[in-house]
Amino acid sequence: MESAHLKAFADAEEMEISFGPQHPSTHGVLRLMVKVDGERILDVKPIIGYLHRGTEKLFERETYNGCIPHTDRMDYTAAVTNNQGLVGAVEKLMGITIPPRAAYLRMILAELQRLASHLVWLATHALDIGAQTPYFYCFEERDKILDLFEEYCGARLTTNCMRVGGMPFELTAGWTDRCRAFIDQFPAKVADWERILTKNRIWRERTVGVGVISAADAIEWGLTGPPLRGSGVRWDIRKVFPYDRYDEVEFDIPIGTNGDTYDRYLVRMEEMRQSVRIIRQCLERLPEGPVMAKVPKVIKPPKGEVYFSVEAPKGELGYYLVSEGGDTPYRLHVRPACFINLQALPEMVRGQLVADLVAVIGTLDIVLGEIDR
Amino acid sequence: MSWWDKLVAFIPLELVQGLGVTGKYLFRKKVTVQYPEQRLEPKDRFRGMFGFSEERCIVCHNCAKACPIDIIHITDHFEESVVDGKKRKKKVLDRYDIDLKRCMFCGLCEEACPTKPVAIWLTTKTYETAAYERNERLYFDKVRLQTWDGVLPFPGVKAPAEGGMPEDPKAEKKAAGGEGA
Amino acid sequence: MPEPLMTYLVIPLVKIVVILLVLILGAAYLTFFERKILAYIQIRLGPNRVGPKGWLQAIADALKLFVKEDLTPARSEKFVFLLAPVLIIVPALLVFAVIPFGPSDIWRLTDINVALLFVLGVSSVGIYGIILGGWSSNNKYSLMGGLRSAAQLISYEVPMGFAVVTVVVMAGSLSLVRIVEVQRELGVWFFLPGIVALFVYFVCGVAETNRNPFDLPEAESELVGGFHTEYSGMKWAFFFLGEYANMIVISAMATVLFFGGWLPPFPNLLEPLWTSSALAWVPPPFWFLLKVAAFIFLYMWFRGTFPRYRFDQLMRLGWKVLLPVSLANLMVVALGVLMLGERS
Repeated sequence: MESAHLKAFADAEEMEISFGPQHPSTHGVLRLMVKVDGERILDVKPIIGYLHRGTEKLFERETYNGCIPHTDRMDYTAAVTNNQGLVGAVEKLMGITIPPRAAYLRMILAELQRLASHLVWLATHALDIGAQTPYFYCFEERDKILDLFEEYCGARLTTNCMRVGGMPFELTAGWTDRCRAFIDQFPAKVADWERILTKNRIWRERTVGVGVISAADAIEWGLTGPPLRGSGVRWDIRKVFPYDRYDEVEFDIPIGTNGDTYDRYLVRMEEMRQSVRIIRQCLERLPEGPVMAKVPKVIKPPKGEVYFSVEAPKGELGYYLVSEGGDTPYRLHVRPACFINLQALPEMVRGQLVADLVAVIGTLDIVLGEIDR
Repeated sequence: MSWWDKLVAFIPLELVQGLGVTGKYLFRKKVTVQYPEQRLEPKDRFRGMFGFSEERCIVCHNCAKACPIDIIHITDHFEESVVDGKKRKKKVLDRYDIDLKRCMFCGLCEEACPTKPVAIWLTTKTYETAAYERNERLYFDKVRLQTWDGVLPFPGVKAPAEGGMPEDPKAEKKAAGGEGA
Repeated sequence: MPEPLMTYLVIPLVKIVVILLVLILGAAYLTFFERKILAYIQIRLGPNRVGPKGWLQAIADALKLFVKEDLTPARSEKFVFLLAPVLIIVPALLVFAVIPFGPSDIWRLTDINVALLFVLGVSSVGIYGIILGGWSSNNKYSLMGGLRSAAQLISYEVPMGFAVVTVVVMAGSLSLVRIVEVQRELGVWFFLPGIVALFVYFVCGVAETNRNPFDLPEAESELVGGFHTEYSGMKWAFFFLGEYANMIVISAMATVLFFGGWLPPFPNLLEPLWTSSALAWVPPPFWFLLKVAAFIFLYMWFRGTFPRYRFDQLMRLGWKVLLPVSLANLMVVALGVLMLGERS
């Protein structure tokens, strides 16, 4: 019966491969069940939950300022915007307006964090596609940003740098000079990396036309962030529902045309340049004043519910807060950008080759911490 | 595309440009820091290993309440003493334990401490707390928090028991800077 | 000692031992150089702890692989499993029997008048090693990886062959010694008239050795682990050394065919400089090594810079782009040679 077995193997149209949780190129512990026919992908089923830590349940037993360190650990490459979302939600529910200096500080830190997160994205995306060196160049720059964070709040990655009502600390002496020095030398580096990748014919062959999603499909799937903008939809929370004085600074939103991996790459590179622009304006206009509003010692928002979202580097990060008037949230649900972006993965890779799967996961820029919480 | 464009497209000019960029980096100064002979110095506000001062502590339990993961365990008792002919009750610290292996170094305990200067602080630039046994060595009681037994202090930093106590790290954070614009 | 015994047994044996030692040590140290050069491109230092400045790293790696457990999969074809690494490294080393390192007889092992054919033929045997390695592992992913690798190799042999034929047309002989001699007589190395051929040859060479940007079959982020997944210890070391030895072969062939082998720069114009001045003591193999080193550096520079091609794009490049280009180039060069006069 050997020949029958071999014939079955040779005739088999579908093979289901498990792209296991531990794999060099799934960014985190993501398991994908990939149905392939030869080299073509028929279907992909992501299986998540390997990093679930019960964050939303933990939120229910913490005071509001105690929830903030937990949010650091969701999207761990972009902790500042996680913090920003949570404190923004509580402030919205309580009706607190933060002082202008605090708003500008938040914007500077958030845009620095956007740079840092996009640097991780570029490093790992390029590494998956085969270019090994942008990884090191990006992490050198990211290290400088993390140094700025460390100087401000004491930690590089799990920053815990915002509080309900403003900012916990004032800037150190010379922080703005160092920040300015960093953003002055940063665009030249971005230009360098673009010289390695953007027009590179190998890069273009691996990314143009790969993982295409149309604008209508992107909206239907609920994509946000660069995947949405790469498909041509002009939607950025900072412009549409401005928070933290984003309406006082000038910046553009890069839009793609084809909705493929190359466009998302270009969108993120341009976002990095726009972030530099925002930081420069904020540094120039940084007002004097207190960094913390008058907030009661124990934060007790009134009974009610609120939804507040920020434009995290990965997409729209939303917090839905239900408060019963106590000092801990009754329910704090996170709308994770990566989780919803990941849902579109099967749509984007159907019919493409297995080697493209890796490229598309990289372009969606998923972080399992946010997906699983 | 004309045939000339096709011909030129064959020549990989942009690949050569990419090679040029990496070639340039070949001669740049390398960023490697040779640990442990060289160490990067953490910034002043770096949240590292705990420092604790039993003298400054007023046993208010604020830090234990502020801790998001409840790793600070405090027990105390009242001690009666006669001072100036009046009966005085004083809180005495029995146990002040921090479970370091679970600490996430968020700094909320330091922020919550009301004494000036603070009794519990993390701005010690010390991060080398690795141990071979987790449960025994990474659970710090009152004494070890001050002597830093088992912790490698950052070069130049002293353990709290030897006098390495900041003046007022909290005040410094709130008042520093001011030159924003 | 009787004369024939010296000339036909002892001296060749000594030469063989020297060549093998240099090659194997060179291939082992190439791992070290690759790590250092990649590290320097990536603004870090690379291995610098083992030995002075890290120079003993290669020895440490070799020792480690030596004492590693030698696993053979349970239901694999044991003899073939053992044979596959041998089939990769032996042809790579064998090619050096005909490569000239210098002008006279002491600088080469042998000189046959179909040396180029010998090189092409022998290096093709390496492909068997890959197929057999993938098949004998009793692992369907290894098999697929091995087949993909082999398909890539045989596809890129064709344009490489045409590039080499271009040089033959220019030189008029298949003998490697004669090719270098012709470059000296002409005063111009073949890379100038044959720039396209050099480009095609080197790109095919990179694909032949499964190096970036053509290393999809063995990339880590791929589903199939490549043909050498099941190998460990010394057998895996042989695969690895074979890859580096092949790199040296391609680089050596590129220098001999296109860059004048052991010739110093401008051999005719600057002849007094090379023969009578202080630089006369520089032995010819020095130039050879210098040029080979430059090509190997180019290999590593490519690895540090480029992303990798997808497999279908790789095949398309080999068949649809490089093959027509090398054919067209051959025709142009042949026409040029015809018009400029005959070569014997």
